[in-house]
Amino acid sequence: MTTLADPPVTPPARPEKPPHRRARRSRAGRTNHAGKLTYAILTVAVLVSAFPFYWTIVAASRSNADLARVPPSLLPGPNLLRNFEAVLEEADIGKALLNSFIVSGSITLGTVLCCTLAGFAFAKLRFRGRGALLAITVGTMMIPPQLGVIPLFMLIAELQWVNQLQAVILPGLVSAFGVFFMRQYLVQSLPDELIEAARVDGASTARIFWSIVVPVARPGMSVLGLLTFMAAWNDFFWPIVALSSSEPTVQVALRQLGGGYVHDQSVIMAGTLLGTLPVLLVFGLLGRQIVGGIMQGAVKG
Amino acid sequence: MPTARAARRVTARLGALVLTGALLAACGGSSDADSADGAGGKITLTVDLFGSFGYKEAGLYAEYEKLHPNVTIKQTDTEDEADYWKSLQTRLAGGGGLADVQGIEVGRIATVTQQQADKFEDLKKYGAESLKGQFAEAKWAAATGKSGEVLGLGTDVGPEAMCYRTDLFEKAGLPTDREELAQRWSSWDGYLELGKKYKAKAPGKSAWLDSVGSLYSIMIGQQKERYYSASGELIWDKNPALLEAWDRSVEAAESGLSAELDQWSPQWNQAFAAGSFATIPCPAWMLGYIKGQAGDAGQGKWDIAKLPGGAGNWGGSYLAVPRAAEHKKEAYELIKWLTAPEQQEKLFRKVGNFPSSTGAIDKVAGTTDPYFSDAPIGKIFGDAAKAAPVQVLGLHDQSIAQQITNALSEVERKGTDPDKAWKNASKGVANTLG
Amino acid sequence: MSPYAYIAPFFTLFAAFGLFPLIYTAFVSLYRVELQTPGDMEWRGLDNYTALFTDDFFWTSLRNTFTIGVISTVPQLVMALGLAHLLNYRLRARTFLRTAMLLPYATSVAAATLVFAQLFGRDFGLINYVAGLVGIGPIDWQTGTVASQIAVSTIVVWRWTGYNALIYLAGMQSIPQELYEAAEMDGASKWRQFFHVTLPGLRPTIVFTVIVSTIGATQLFGEPLLFEGSISGGISHQYQTLGLYMYEQGWGFFHLGRAAAIAWVMFLLIVVLVGVNALLAYRRSRKEAVR
Repeated sequence: MTTLADPPVTPPARPEKPPHRRARRSRAGRTNHAGKLTYAILTVAVLVSAFPFYWTIVAASRSNADLARVPPSLLPGPNLLRNFEAVLEEADIGKALLNSFIVSGSITLGTVLCCTLAGFAFAKLRFRGRGALLAITVGTMMIPPQLGVIPLFMLIAELQWVNQLQAVILPGLVSAFGVFFMRQYLVQSLPDELIEAARVDGASTARIFWSIVVPVARPGMSVLGLLTFMAAWNDFFWPIVALSSSEPTVQVALRQLGGGYVHDQSVIMAGTLLGTLPVLLVFGLLGRQIVGGIMQGAVKG
Repeated sequence: MPTARAARRVTARLGALVLTGALLAACGGSSDADSADGAGGKITLTVDLFGSFGYKEAGLYAEYEKLHPNVTIKQTDTEDEADYWKSLQTRLAGGGGLADVQGIEVGRIATVTQQQADKFEDLKKYGAESLKGQFAEAKWAAATGKSGEVLGLGTDVGPEAMCYRTDLFEKAGLPTDREELAQRWSSWDGYLELGKKYKAKAPGKSAWLDSVGSLYSIMIGQQKERYYSASGELIWDKNPALLEAWDRSVEAAESGLSAELDQWSPQWNQAFAAGSFATIPCPAWMLGYIKGQAGDAGQGKWDIAKLPGGAGNWGGSYLAVPRAAEHKKEAYELIKWLTAPEQQEKLFRKVGNFPSSTGAIDKVAGTTDPYFSDAPIGKIFGDAAKAAPVQVLGLHDQSIAQQITNALSEVERKGTDPDKAWKNASKGVANTLG
Repeated sequence: MSPYAYIAPFFTLFAAFGLFPLIYTAFVSLYRVELQTPGDMEWRGLDNYTALFTDDFFWTSLRNTFTIGVISTVPQLVMALGLAHLLNYRLRARTFLRTAMLLPYATSVAAATLVFAQLFGRDFGLINYVAGLVGIGPIDWQTGTVASQIAVSTIVVWRWTGYNALIYLAGMQSIPQELYEAAEMDGASKWRQFFHVTLPGLRPTIVFTVIVSTIGATQLFGEPLLFEGSISGGISHQYQTLGLYMYEQGWGFFHLGRAAAIAWVMFLLIVVLVGVNALLAYRRSRKEAVR
């Protein structure tokens, strides 16, 4: 996963305090109503953010000849389905989408589980070496995994895993950020008394984990899952090293498209559109939560 | 920030997404199993190639599938050989993702025979020895390993000629007759001279030549020794023939004769149809590119003449079966059929890839091609194939060539000082050799 | 269940796929290792490093990494700060605006770069068309050194500005309200409040984003790779970054040992840059405290 895709490493704030915030907001001197200029600038910013998406749709629905025309056409054309068909056939985007679902889904499930387990242990259990292990985890959080790709490649070459999905899934499960995130979350939102009470009732640690920790941790797990899914879907360097066009993820397929695999620019844009749609879909459904997750992670430096 | 209820909703949605993924995965898994080795003995042979082998275009896969109803052929193709080779090497090292049939460029075959004989099937196992008589001797020898393994079967060779646009020549007031042109550009000086004439009266924004990289490649193809000497010594940077090819290419760049297009780039692809250049040095396999990129609109606008400065060879390929292939025996049957004289002959007639099989060479001698104004392609390329020198092949031929053509495009596109570009090429080669 | 059982899954994976590769990179960088035969390692000592330091392409890529880093990070963070300030007003369609700003973050490097490569086309690109309307151009966004670096940086800026704006916004919202009230009572204008309350309050967040962006810029890879699909970063390496040069050495020339040396240099570079950042931030906050 790219480091950049991870939200800031500062401790997440307690997630549930809307009444408090609303109260602050209303008496705020700085939360003035926005003027016309503000709206104008923000509108421009939104347009700049969105234009490349619009252009992708325009380009994907036209033909190669249209794209080599001056002046360029700025409205969508009639060829979208034809181009989708072409890219599905020529670049196997269908298989790439499927693989990306498998890879990102597995990484998301695995990461959330591993990180919740470890985060719980670091937050609430006492054991020898806890401080040191946590320090190692946090210390490596900022190191880009990209720097380890050479030994990683030698490792999977040795295992003969090149071009197999597990070569991308297993390294993707490692998220030092996730452990830290879940630890901070649980430190703040899981009262010690709850665990103590369960202990007194004679519950085992395993039982405590499933019936007390997980329910409390669920909002944090969701945020972590969302961010992990998007980062895994968009991961680029390692998949293009470990996989190839015969077993691609979406990003590998897009690299192929960009590397002269297909000559038709509008078909390339159709592939780009198909490869981006799933993330946009997630974003459309859960955009508010993603925004919340990122901002939550950022509060307090 | 999510309240408890919102959080539950998130969880539900996320769960649904992940579940969808898992379901898809399950379906994918089972459908994969179906496509592998079905009960009815139906198999899918994968063929992974670069550039333009033309099998699909010539309908050869369809024909083979008809002959073998249990076989389906699936081809993947990377346009740029350099990208293809990188990916092939990675997969060879890591054991996964190799196709049943992999294409190998002649500039790479020495790597296969000298270093990777253990990664590819020795085709003798399947009786390939009996095919030896079909192929030109040098073609066969180049794919033979140190202990006599047969590591690939030859597809085509790349005898060289010059393709040109008769309509553009006419507009610029140049002769269009292929015999006359062959005489006017019997030497490379003559070719560049004619180029300068063309430039003076060039129609539209068209240039004389697509790129100086292609000019260099075609010129170096006329040499027996290029990057390595016959004794295996690395000589590229002191090889007088190479230096001359370099100087001529630089001259072409500095005289503004080139359209400054990188070969195999999207712009290069588009330029065929747009008519951005009047000549393109063409090994036989380039004919397929021209037809594909220039399309029907180009029919009859092109012609082919003898190459300036004598006969040469650029490229040509092999088909090999990796050890890690899934269907080795069936893969061998396929490549045996694809490289047999009859198929090589068909391929030449349809897409222009020139046969490496001796039997086919004689049969195609009389071929003409209507796309190229009925040029006698059988004779032009056949003569070139016979007269071309048998090239010394070395481990890093292709990589060194690539560094040189990169440096040349720096000169033509960025106006980099040629001496500096040459130094960059040297550094690039040093990097390659490590 | 022992506490160790909870951390075991993570640490097993972490050791195998996180920690081991990082440490082993340093080891590999002392050997000659070729991609085709990763099992054969031949001792080289520091030769991979000395070869790098006499290699012009290495210095070019180091310089490019730096210049692209600056022209992508500085405008990105400045614009993000401005946008965050605006987003902090009481707005209609607040959620929509925030989500829309974050949209570029949701796309992959690959998708974004392919689209921008199209927009930046020399002959038929939309950007050159628009520039042509106002009498500029056509600019060769691929070949020109400055032009190509600006084009590559644009992709980075587009993808990350909104993300950073949200981080800043979160930071702004956690600045205690009392500070603003006090400033207001002192008669400070909105501008003064921005510079004297908001900016100091955001300092930790700013330091954080600078560090993250620096790390991101140091390992920049996908954008320059896909811009023209060239692993050399253009015909004269004009926009080849260290990350891309590492990839070229490893998967273009097949020299894994040399590539590992580049990775290690990148690692040291990151450590130094982060250290300098942290130090500067620390010294500034000390100075403020004294004042």
